[in-house]
Amino acid sequence: MAIPEQSLITDEHRAAIGRKSDPVTVTVREEDARRMRDVLGDRDPRYADGTGIAPPYVIAMLGGGPRRGMPQVLPSGLLTQQEWRFTRPFRIGEELQAVSQVYDIRDRLGGRYGYSVLVTQGTDYYDAEGNHVAAAMITITQFDPKMAASGGEE
Amino acid sequence: MSQRYYEDVNIDDELEPLERVPTTDMAIDFFGRDNPTNPAFADAEAGKRLGVGGALVPGLLKLAWITQYVSDWAGPGGMVRSVRAAYRRPDVADRPLVLAGRVVEKRVEDGVHLVELEVVTLAEGQPSTRANVQVQLPARS
Repeated sequence: MAIPEQSLITDEHRAAIGRKSDPVTVTVREEDARRMRDVLGDRDPRYADGTGIAPPYVIAMLGGGPRRGMPQVLPSGLLTQQEWRFTRPFRIGEELQAVSQVYDIRDRLGGRYGYSVLVTQGTDYYDAEGNHVAAAMITITQFDPKMAASGGEE
Repeated sequence: MSQRYYEDVNIDDELEPLERVPTTDMAIDFFGRDNPTNPAFADAEAGKRLGVGGALVPGLLKLAWITQYVSDWAGPGGMVRSVRAAYRRPDVADRPLVLAGRVVEKRVEDGVHLVELEVVTLAEGQPSTRANVQVQLPARS
């Protein structure tokens, strides 16, 4: 497949930018916190059993995350950037509202695939009082493997 | 785990490097054995089909390691405020990764003592992930 002569990003894709999703309820689960602590060998006493506090990286297991509803311009995707922000620690068992939105969609010419599309999407998590708790953001480089042969090397 | 204070931190301070060896079991257990994930995290052949050369190390696992690395450096009174990572090249399971970091900025913002760090994961000496981490530290005064 040749590199397209014009952007494959449509007005429909662009219309998704800034549009917030309906909130999804997610729960900070103790079993996730404990399992992830064990895998990482994290002995930080702040997150030990009984403290009621989950380590920040439990955000990786919260549903309703930033891939939800991401516009699909090209068939394959590679995670190229990721960001977590924390306003306060997570509490074990608390329910949060996850609200996602697309921040940016842009074309990229060059690189391994010749033409790719960068989609940046994020999710904000709010507690029952509506206070911001954390945010997760990702940038996915979408590409068509069939274009690889026509593109240059990165 | 000892406490680090804002006044004791200087720009260009280096964090002690830490070696981690990611395994396929770690990748599966990180997400939970009941949760479906990218097959390339557990299957070297699936990783090779992606051109990785073996099972792929999940970006989220590396981000969690970076968060833990800086959190441990900061101590129990510190708090990681943000972690932003760019994945420069894929990492392969069972190959050691070295975490290294450096303080690049410190400032007080609205009474909050903030330190900015650059952290990398090094595979065979080459950066595979570059991250900017912001951490809040307590002050002595």
